[in-house]
Amino acid sequence: MTELIDRTGTETQEAPVVELSMQQAVNRALRVLLAEDPDVLVFGEDVGTLGGVFRVTDGLQKEFGDRRVFDTPLAESAIMGMAVGLAMNGWRPVPELQFDGFAYPAIDQIVNQVARMNYRTRGAAPMPITLRLPSFGGIQAPEHHGESLEAIFAHTPGLKVVAPSDPGDAYTLLLQAVRSDDPVVYMEPKARYWERRPVQLREPDEPIGTSRIVRPGRHATLVAWGAMVHRCVQAAELAAEDGVELEVLDLRWLKPIDAEGLAASVARTRRAVVVHEAPLTAGLGAEVSALVTENCFRDLAAPVQRVTGFDVPYPAGPLEPQYLPTIDRILLAVQRTLEF
Amino acid sequence: MAEESVTFTLPDLGEGLVEATVLEWQVGVGDTVGRNDPLVEVETTKSAVVIPSPKAGRIAELHAREEEVVPVGAPLVTFVVTVSDDAPQAGIVGKVPAEERPTRRVRLKPPAD
Amino acid sequence: MSENPADGVAIRCADLIPSSPADAVPVLLLHGFGTSFDMNWRAAGWTRALEAEGLRVLGPDLRGHGDSDKPADSGFYLPEHFVGDLTAALDRLGVERVDAVGYSMGSRLAWELALTHPERVRRVALCGFGPADAFEGVDLSDPGSGDTPFDSVFRNVAGLPGNDPAALAACARGQASRPFRAHPPLTCPVLVAAGSEDEVAAGAQELAALCGGTFVEVPGRGHANAVSSRILRQAVVEFLTS
Repeated sequence: MTELIDRTGTETQEAPVVELSMQQAVNRALRVLLAEDPDVLVFGEDVGTLGGVFRVTDGLQKEFGDRRVFDTPLAESAIMGMAVGLAMNGWRPVPELQFDGFAYPAIDQIVNQVARMNYRTRGAAPMPITLRLPSFGGIQAPEHHGESLEAIFAHTPGLKVVAPSDPGDAYTLLLQAVRSDDPVVYMEPKARYWERRPVQLREPDEPIGTSRIVRPGRHATLVAWGAMVHRCVQAAELAAEDGVELEVLDLRWLKPIDAEGLAASVARTRRAVVVHEAPLTAGLGAEVSALVTENCFRDLAAPVQRVTGFDVPYPAGPLEPQYLPTIDRILLAVQRTLEF
Repeated sequence: MAEESVTFTLPDLGEGLVEATVLEWQVGVGDTVGRNDPLVEVETTKSAVVIPSPKAGRIAELHAREEEVVPVGAPLVTFVVTVSDDAPQAGIVGKVPAEERPTRRVRLKPPAD
Repeated sequence: MSENPADGVAIRCADLIPSSPADAVPVLLLHGFGTSFDMNWRAAGWTRALEAEGLRVLGPDLRGHGDSDKPADSGFYLPEHFVGDLTAALDRLGVERVDAVGYSMGSRLAWELALTHPERVRRVALCGFGPADAFEGVDLSDPGSGDTPFDSVFRNVAGLPGNDPAALAACARGQASRPFRAHPPLTCPVLVAAGSEDEVAAGAQELAALCGGTFVEVPGRGHANAVSSRILRQAVVEFLTS
C-alpha cells in the first residue's frame, strides 16, 4: 500500500468536478486502472463486446483490446477460477459476476481459493483480485438478481468487502480496491447505478476500512452502506423537519469495518440505527450492533436498532418495496431509540 | 431521441456449426424492419434457416454478400435504431428505479436531552 | 401427443393458432426425412409466413423423428402408418380438413393422405419431391454407406441431436419397401415445387403435369436449401390463399 500513498502525495491539484452516474464513474475508474497497470484484466459475462448489462464496461474492449477486456462463458465458477490462475501468474484480475445471485455458483472458488491462497502459500501467491458484483435490490429484477451477500463475504477470512453508495465513492473505492494486493469484493448497488451526481474524481487518500459521515447530526446515527445510504439521507432530511438531527454514516468497507469511526459517531449521538437490505438474522447489522455495544456501552442512551430485510428469500419484484427498509421503518426505529 | 447503430453478428446456430453460407438477404440497405421479421436466409451443412431480425430499425449495412461463407460471430448486418434519450439503457434485467420525492407517515419527537 | 390407435405409436403435433385467424382451412406441414417440424419449417421461416396470413398451422413430428416415438423396426414405417398418425392427430385436434404441404418425404406422405382420405385434404403442395425412387441404389442394410443422394442426406441427418440413426434406418427401409407410384394421380388442386438443382426431386415438373397442377422451380437451389427460399414460401402461400 506504500505505492498508493506515494501516488496520493503527488496529487496536488484539486480533482475537477464532473456530473456522472455510478455506471459512468465505475467505467472511468476501470479506464484509469487499465491504463495505469498493464497487468489489470477485466473479464466476465458480456463485459466485452456488449459493454456489460449495466453498460459499466462500455467501450473498454474497444479502447484496451480483447486481450485485456474479454467475455467469458456463462460459468461463474470458471470466471473466479480463472482469476485465481491469472493472479498466481502475476496479473491483476478484475472479474465481474453479472448479478449477486450468480456469485453462489462461484462460492467455492471465492471462499476456498481466492480468500485462502495468500495464507496457504505463506504469501507466495497473493490474490490481487477485485470481484465486481452488481448487488442488492431495488430494480424489481427476477429471482437471483437482488441478493445481499455482504455478510457471507465479510465472514470469510481473507476477503475485503466494500460497497460504495454514490458515484464519487464508487470511483475512488474501486481504484483503492484494485490497487490493493488483497482480494476485494466490490459490491455495486444496482439501484444507484443511474442517478447522476456532481462527482470529484478523487484519488484514494484514506486507508482501506474508513467510513464516511455523509450527513452530520446529533440525535442518532444511521449506519448504512450501498443503496441504503441514500434512503437514510432521505429519512434524515425528513426527520430534520421534525427537529430531529440524524447523522448518516456510510460504512463503505464492510470488512474491515471502521469500528473507530463508528464508535466516534455513536459516542456523540448516543443512539444508533443500522439499516441494511439483507435479512435480519446473522446480517451485518448484528456485527455493527455488537461493535457499538462493545465500544460505546456507557455512551448509549438506547439499544442499537436494526432495520433490515426480512428472513425470507428475496421476494419477486412487485413485493420489493415491502421487503426493503422503508423511510417509515427507519423513522420508527429512530423513534424507539429516542423514546427508550 | 437519438440514433444508435447496432451490429448483429452471425449467431451460434448450434450443433457445433462454425459457419454458414448467406443464401439470400430478405432485406436491403435502407429498409425498415420490425423485430422478428425475416432478415436473412443462411445455409449450414445441416440445414437452411431464415434468421429473424433481432431488432426493429433501419438497415444501414449488410456485411456479407449472397453466397458468401460467414463464420459464427462475424458481423452480419448493422441496424440504425432509435433510442429515447431518457430510456433505460439496453440490457438491464429489471427496471430503472424512478427517483421520487420521498414521503413518510411517521413523525418524530426530538429527545428531551 | 396423439396416439395411433392401430399400434400405439405417439406423435407430437404442434398446433399454432394465429392471433388474427383467417377463415381458412388449417395448413398441415409435413417435414422431410431426418428433420422435424421445428427444423424443417419453423427455422426456415414458414410458421411466421403462414401466421402472417392468418393461417392455423398443424406441425407433426413424423414417427421416428423429433419428439415423436421412434420405433426401430421397419414394420412401423409403412406409408399407411404415417397416414394413421396424421388422421389420429387431426381427429384429436377436431380438424376436418387441411391443406397439406410436404417437403421431400413429407410430400410423399401428403400425397398418400390426399389419395386415401380425399375428404380431409383440400389442396396439396409437394415441395422438394419427384416421382423417382429416392432409394434407388441405396444399400438399405446400411443406409448412408453409399454415394447416392439419399446416402448423403442420411449421413447429414443421422448425427443431428435428437435423431436416432437406428430408427431413421428403419424408417428408410419401411418407406423403400413401398416405392412411390404416381398412378392414380391426385384429383385435388396440386402445386409441385423444387429447386432447379434438386436431384432428389427429379421429374417434379412431370408429376405436376400428371395431376393437372402447377410447377414452380426455385432457381439455383438444391434439396437441402430450397426449403428456406422466399420464392418457395411465397409460391406455396399464394397457392394456399388464392
